[in-house]
Amino acid sequence: MKYFVRIADLPQILEVEVEGGRVSVAGAPYEAHLAAVPGTPLYHLLLAGESWTVAAQPGEGIGRWTLGVVGERIEVEAVDERTRHVQELTGRRPVRAASGTIQAPMPGLVVRVAVTEGQRVEAGAELVVVEAMKMENQLRAPRAGVVAKVHVAVGEAVEKGAPLVTVESPELSG
Amino acid sequence: MAEISRVLVANRGEIALRIIRACHEERLEAVAVYSQADRLSPHVRAAELAVPIGPAPAVDSYLNMGRLIEAARSTGCQAIHPGYGFLSERAPFADAVARAGLVFIGPPAAAIVAMGDKTEARRRMQAAGVPIVPGTTQAVSDAKRARYEATRLGFPVLLKAVAGGGGKGMRLVHEPAELEAAFQAAQGEALRAFGAGDVYVEKYLQRPRHVEIQVLADTHGRVVALGERECSIQRRHQKLIEEAPSVALSPALRRRMSEAATAAAGSVGYVGAGTIEFLLGPGGEFHFLEMNTRLQVEHPVTELVYGVDIVREQLRIAAGKPMRVHAGTLNPRGHAIECRITSEDPFNDFLPATGVLRYLRVPSGPGVRWDGGVEQGNEVTLFYDPLIAKLIVWGDTREIAIQRMRRALRELVIVGLPTSQAFHLRVMEEPTFQRGELDITYLERVGPALLAPEPRAEVVRPLAVVAALLAEEQRAAAVPPPLSDRPTVRPSGWVDAAVREGLRE
Repeated sequence: MKYFVRIADLPQILEVEVEGGRVSVAGAPYEAHLAAVPGTPLYHLLLAGESWTVAAQPGEGIGRWTLGVVGERIEVEAVDERTRHVQELTGRRPVRAASGTIQAPMPGLVVRVAVTEGQRVEAGAELVVVEAMKMENQLRAPRAGVVAKVHVAVGEAVEKGAPLVTVESPELSG
Repeated sequence: MAEISRVLVANRGEIALRIIRACHEERLEAVAVYSQADRLSPHVRAAELAVPIGPAPAVDSYLNMGRLIEAARSTGCQAIHPGYGFLSERAPFADAVARAGLVFIGPPAAAIVAMGDKTEARRRMQAAGVPIVPGTTQAVSDAKRARYEATRLGFPVLLKAVAGGGGKGMRLVHEPAELEAAFQAAQGEALRAFGAGDVYVEKYLQRPRHVEIQVLADTHGRVVALGERECSIQRRHQKLIEEAPSVALSPALRRRMSEAATAAAGSVGYVGAGTIEFLLGPGGEFHFLEMNTRLQVEHPVTELVYGVDIVREQLRIAAGKPMRVHAGTLNPRGHAIECRITSEDPFNDFLPATGVLRYLRVPSGPGVRWDGGVEQGNEVTLFYDPLIAKLIVWGDTREIAIQRMRRALRELVIVGLPTSQAFHLRVMEEPTFQRGELDITYLERVGPALLAPEPRAEVVRPLAVVAALLAEEQRAAAVPPPLSDRPTVRPSGWVDAAVREGLRE
């Protein structure tokens, strides 16, 4: 089976073909053996003799994982050919944070709202400040746009994932 | 002084565990306290006795003086160790502990008061001949006065809360036009954070290092300095990486700063462990910043290069014994580095994360120390600070210590929530850090490039293969193979699938 793998935010998609105990990455063949380390979320990969220990935590959605290797934590996504084909036909692929609504990344207290509805914001502009774990956390606009809705007010306690501010930007579609 | 045989540890997390370990080595019994959120925390399990003190929010538990003192009394403790944070620098708590007939493991309440008021501390240091950061030694009454002082000092200046700490109630002002608004903002923030809106003015020093001196003082009149820690790698006044010694200190400068620190401690009748923070300029000129009248998070780097167990010394000093630090040991040996492993996502503006620690593999091997407070299965909540553990290494030289830290960080595995681990690893490999070219703007200057979220080239292929093989395993699990092919034992779904496919060929 052939998989199309995206690593973090790297632009290129890697084609990985799995066939028995062999894999080919972008056409180059390797011997590969993956074994789960019992009682842990760790996997041990032998890839053409190279030894790699990788921690795997399932992500949101089929084919998505957060992998940990040599101290780094990296999100990956592997889709098979058919899924990829469907994605191409519908003209979209799953994108992280495609929503124009900024959500609370953790539970906390809204201590500042820096924008009002209808206001034009640049990418990186401060929208809301949420205090959690003794720290004030600035939430910024991921892209330029217009503030369509402010969902919270100062002093409000928010749960993780609560909508804070919706920013509409023309380039969001597609 | 009263014999101490049982100590109440009025804290949680890694520092509670650190103090309990010191108690046990001193052959003392430790009593833990815990909020509802910490019922299963390691510090609770490590102690001889454990007392519930209330609901998860700190104001209802770890900041509740009455409950803590009652817990100490009901369990027959003779002393209370406050750790850091929470009540450690609250003079009323030190007073209340003493009034309850218990020993407060820390300085006298008067020393906490003197150093807690930042302008009084500045006046005292001036009187003791310790250089202070240029600025006012009294609160300024209004923005107009602040403007006059700022003009006298020269812009940029810092407006700081008199009752301050941790960067709250602080504003950097570049030019006169910004002053009015900044003054109001600093006052408001100080009022909210500390209940007192007084603000004073300090000259803003350009790119100094943060260098602090550890002091220990006993009740037999001895005050010693255990050298410096360099803590220039900070984010919004929160330290991220600390080391000892500092590459910027010659033995002569170390001596001068140590003398200033012991003079500072002596001037307030200090007893126990404390830290004098200085800003150090490029020409070796240093200025008193503030004194922390408690055990410091980063105390382990000093312990490793001076061979002194600071917490055990605190316990001995509290019992009225002379400290076991000998003049001959007062030179640093080797080099130590500490990385604070926090549940913050460095690739997302250090946003704090909560969640369950699904898996933890702690680094070990030569020269590695792990001061942790969370174990596998524990939940990191929003109620307390995001420190998971301190990873500390020692090496003969700074270069060896950096290599060792890099190795240890690569061994560390944390699954379940994002942490600062990758940030530390990247700092260890960053050339200006390796050359020791540090100042408190390091993160602002180097951070953005350091944290460009590019995975290392060498991990791309193995990660792609793991992702594909995991996807294959997932697919095999979702679509069961024909009955005849189904194995009875499944060590790993993917290994099985590979075997099956191999058999078919």
